Amino acid sequence: MSDAPTKARTEILISGFGGQGVIRMGQILGLAAIKQGHRVTMLKSHGTETRGGYVRAQLVISPEYVDSPVVENADVFVAFSAPAYKKFFDFCRGKILYDPEMVEAIRPDAPERHVAVPATALAKERFNNVLFANMVMLGALTRLGGLDVEAMKKAMLEVIPRFHEQNLAALELGYTLPAVVPA
Amino acid sequence: MSTLEIGVKETLVAPWPEWARRATRGRRLLEAGTYALTEGAIAAGCRVFAGYPITPATDIAEYMSKRLPQVGGYYVQCEDELAGMHACAGASLGGLKAMTATSGPGFTLMHDAYGWAITNEIPLVVVDAMRVGPISGITGAPGQGEFYIARYASHGGNFETIVLSPSSVQEAFWLTIDAFNLAERFRTPVTILTDQVISDMWEDLFVPEDYDALDFVVPRRHNLMMPFYPVGSADLDVPPNVIGHGTGVCVSAYTHTEEGYDIEEMEAQWAQTYRLINKIRHHRDQLTRYETVGVEDAEVIAVAYGANARTVKTGVLEARRRGVRAGFVRLITLWPFPDELFARDLPYVVCELNYDGQLVREVMRSAPDGRTVRFMGKSAELHTVAEVAAGLEGVARNGRVPELPYIWTEVR
Repeated sequence: MSDAPTKARTEILISGFGGQGVIRMGQILGLAAIKQGHRVTMLKSHGTETRGGYVRAQLVISPEYVDSPVVENADVFVAFSAPAYKKFFDFCRGKILYDPEMVEAIRPDAPERHVAVPATALAKERFNNVLFANMVMLGALTRLGGLDVEAMKKAMLEVIPRFHEQNLAALELGYTLPAVVPA
Repeated sequence: MSTLEIGVKETLVAPWPEWARRATRGRRLLEAGTYALTEGAIAAGCRVFAGYPITPATDIAEYMSKRLPQVGGYYVQCEDELAGMHACAGASLGGLKAMTATSGPGFTLMHDAYGWAITNEIPLVVVDAMRVGPISGITGAPGQGEFYIARYASHGGNFETIVLSPSSVQEAFWLTIDAFNLAERFRTPVTILTDQVISDMWEDLFVPEDYDALDFVVPRRHNLMMPFYPVGSADLDVPPNVIGHGTGVCVSAYTHTEEGYDIEEMEAQWAQTYRLINKIRHHRDQLTRYETVGVEDAEVIAVAYGANARTVKTGVLEARRRGVRAGFVRLITLWPFPDELFARDLPYVVCELNYDGQLVREVMRSAPDGRTVRFMGKSAELHTVAEVAAGLEGVARNGRVPELPYIWTEVR
């Protein structure tokens, strides 16, 4: 991507409940990176339920072929649910983006690593639909990670079949959240 | 950390690096292993898929049901796996390249059909996306429990099988074309033994633009006349038998003559078995595909295949960083087993996704001293980089794998 990742290997971990768009979010991130010439792996694990079950996406982005696709030390961890936050906290050494409506209590250690992104609340408030929460979160992650927002939008339009206008607006909303915009 | 940074040599022995150099026009996608297996089949000229869905191979059936009608092919949803593979055998006898896909619980149901395809020399491709067992195990977790079952995919003995295993989404694409080529050239079913991680994971994938321009695809030819079965011969590239082109063919589950008629004579039994075994054994040089890293100066070599090889390779590089001269052998051809890769007398550490120990037994048999072979079995999850590095370090420094949670080291 434009100015990142500069080091060999970037690990991103996204987790939440089924139906929150965790895999979609990973798919857009991954496709945007591929379009910029990077190599990408994405492991997805989930329960047998279509909705409500546990979902995790593990992305590795690298300028070279990725050997191990397993995220053992995430540079960014996106937590969409309290169980996910608890379960995968120790797999992250970088920033943690969490949705405060889903993750009500964060660990007291390392507050500087935590960034609250009220994606679910904003999706309800602006679009009257929680389905757009993942795009709000993706926008926030794009800004925080210094990724190319135009590339992200292009990839998103390729991946998501419908409601392009709202999805673009949700991504923009996340991208311009005060919590992620550098002071 | 890459092989380049570590400064070790990397070798891949397989036909597809050359194919990739020749087919440069195409698209780069983010797609799943199941997608790559499907597209590889379509690119290889597969025009029939018959099978029964099962996690984690269901997406292959789904992709096939969409893709085959677009290329003039046929998708058949069967009542079970047994019917699926028999239908594929029928389609192949009808002159079309065919594939089925399943997971362990379905693969064992196919063995009757698999035997028919072996003995009647019917080219087919079977995908087994392994999940952890026993039996149905955990649907969404990887296993490597069908290493031996894929070798002995039918009862009765007196045959060899060809089994290949990819370790990336891109490799799944090329290897599927390879599997179809080998099926045609050897007139036999070929198993693609993959796993839940490779079939479900998404990865950057290059797909060539024009499948018709892929001149390395072995086209389907038709044997229009007797003999149907060149018993007593190990010849390759005998055109497959075909029916419905003004032609017929005798197929039988019994020992047969070169005309395909049942016979109960020692001489015929010998001649048929000679062909089924030696058409594969005599051409092993055309079947062996593998990858090695840093084996030249190695003091210990990690051995793996499939998805598990991904983390094992990174573990080998991590061990190198810690000062252990570790090497890596990744098998792509699992059967016939490449004994020659284990000719050097040094410790081998076999990492596979089962606790009973399968691949490790073949390495023990092949190595000059089986007592130097160590086992690191895991189940339902890939080995971590840390586990592999610790195992290699332990074997290099103390001659044994240290005790690690969920790692099984005993082989009996």
